[in-house]
Amino acid sequence: MFVDFFYTLRKVGVPVTPTAFLRLHQALSMGLINSVDDFYTAARAILVKSERYFDLYDQVFAHRFEGVELREPDENELSDIARSLLEEWLKDPQMLANILGINESELGKLSPEELIKYFLERLKEQTEAHHGGSKWIGTGGTSPVGHSGYHPGGMRVGGISRNRSAVKVAMDRRYRDYSQEGPLTQSQMGEALKRLRHMVPVGPKDKVNVSETIYQTVRNAGEIEIVFERSLKDRLKVILAIDNGGWSMEPYVEMVQTLFNYARAQFKDLKTFYFHNSIYNYLWEDPQRYYKPYPVEELVRFDQATRFIIVGDASMAPYELMAQNGSIYYGERSGRASLDRLQFISETFPHSSWLNPVSVFEWKYTYTIGVIREIFPMFPLTLDGLEKAVVHLMRKN
Amino acid sequence: MNDGNQLKRFVGASKYVLDDELAKIVNISMALEMPLLLKGEPGTGKTMLAHAIAEALNMRLIVLNVKSSMKLIDCLYQYDTLTRLNDSRFGDSKRDVSNIEEYIRMGKIGQAFVSDERVVLLIDEIDKADTDFQDDMLDILDQMHFDIIEIDKTMKAKNRPIVVITSNAKKDLSDPFLGRCNFHHIAFPEPDMMRSIVQVHFPDIDKELLNSTIQAFYRLREIKSIEKKPATRELINWIRALRSDPDFLVKDLIKGHIPYLGVLFKKSPDLFVAQKALGHFRP
Repeated sequence: MFVDFFYTLRKVGVPVTPTAFLRLHQALSMGLINSVDDFYTAARAILVKSERYFDLYDQVFAHRFEGVELREPDENELSDIARSLLEEWLKDPQMLANILGINESELGKLSPEELIKYFLERLKEQTEAHHGGSKWIGTGGTSPVGHSGYHPGGMRVGGISRNRSAVKVAMDRRYRDYSQEGPLTQSQMGEALKRLRHMVPVGPKDKVNVSETIYQTVRNAGEIEIVFERSLKDRLKVILAIDNGGWSMEPYVEMVQTLFNYARAQFKDLKTFYFHNSIYNYLWEDPQRYYKPYPVEELVRFDQATRFIIVGDASMAPYELMAQNGSIYYGERSGRASLDRLQFISETFPHSSWLNPVSVFEWKYTYTIGVIREIFPMFPLTLDGLEKAVVHLMRKN
Repeated sequence: MNDGNQLKRFVGASKYVLDDELAKIVNISMALEMPLLLKGEPGTGKTMLAHAIAEALNMRLIVLNVKSSMKLIDCLYQYDTLTRLNDSRFGDSKRDVSNIEEYIRMGKIGQAFVSDERVVLLIDEIDKADTDFQDDMLDILDQMHFDIIEIDKTMKAKNRPIVVITSNAKKDLSDPFLGRCNFHHIAFPEPDMMRSIVQVHFPDIDKELLNSTIQAFYRLREIKSIEKKPATRELINWIRALRSDPDFLVKDLIKGHIPYLGVLFKKSPDLFVAQKALGHFRP
């Protein structure tokens, strides 16, 4: 058991799931891994799912497997794992059942307490099974020592109460995602943004219109007449302008990233710009706001029907918005106030809105939010707010 | 677990230079019967890997090129209603019109399932499709069966195919999707690796040409603000172009005169930038 390894990975921020961890053990027990090198590659392929985390993984691996002794997990750690297994099980019973090689419906009959117990025992079996096999661990002072001697059937009384709380935790987790106030997840964004689309017929006529075909066929006295039409495709154009600079946006970065990721997956015709605090002469196409400036006047080149969405906290010093040379960047002083620019954008794109990650009840304390709200309809970046923004963006007039 | 599968180990193919690490990952994914997700820059040989596995293990390769408009059902099967309608009208085909099964045609995933032998299924550029497609597809590949609604029949995979999925990382894949795959990121090959890759394609290439082209190639890749950097495919085509030009001399290359830039840079702004940058290289 490399429980420590697993937890260190999670602690440093590599999203490793217990399921993947079990899978690694499956690979170990199949005799596929015969050296530390093998273990390194296999564990990485199975546990780490993005190259972004490869570096972290390397660090943890080096830290963990160079001259450090492996020790058997104690009861606490086992029950921690069992708890996370329970969470996994709640999400996807079938997958876990497959990995453990048991029947899903059998698992389903067990009460949560029994489940935890069952997982614990499975984990112990794993521990024992792998204890003997020091072969795959290799050398370098990493052989497992000190088997602490579990009773296969026994469990401490203290363990049970912990388990009960574990179930509660798991349950809490499970329902939090459904709450309206909770942080936005990708799937929730999907729900909210689903209506943000504009279907138009495009492409070759390759879809059979069934009702029209029947109608024409009957008119033809039974002689079949097949009517084809173009299929509908989403042709909504979206411009997303994100405030990605400064300390004030820092707390919301994660939320905005989720929105951005979703937008990238959802919209075929998406253009993303970046700005800092407010919009002056330029928007930037690169997140560093350095290499690719885009003059605001050029925005008129886009289709008027484009939906222009601004994401930002709209919080700044009033002069940054109102003064003619308000930008905090020296090179950007142009003689036109940012307010004029925003006005220009909102006139160019009748369908626009401003999403603000700051919660509504704080809005009235910031002067600039009030000013910008007069130009752009502003909505909070929550599930509720997103829905309202979508309704606004899809209005006909 | 089928013992036969373990005996079959992937050790490389004739036109594919395999590094040890990737070989291990391929073998583990095969043994665990999990799809292998490959990410990396274009031109790092993600797609070629599936071809190489198929060649080395002597299996059939089925390629599913994902498109953004694709629906999952198209990859599984198609019910050819129009042919059936036509047959019922004219009755001049040998098919039995009352038997719907005769009008079901298998899609790429369906083909991989019904094949009598174990096949390699390459799902190319999964990131083009939307998230729902990806998740649903992985469900199918997990369970290894799907239903054909029209004839109320469940198609079960006769042999679990070896699944290789590639992604250009244009979009992030969803967590449940990643959870079901093994993952590997293919880094762009180091010059030494590239040298052996080129040698596989041109066994008779002379050393001077090999060294100077590779040197020039990596230098060109370092030019800033290039949108699409030249990759392995471009390098190989470029060497092919150089070799077929009778007027070309290796020492021109060393001097910094680089012909056929258009083979390496496919976008006109890139080509322009490269030409400008090369102007500085020249003495």
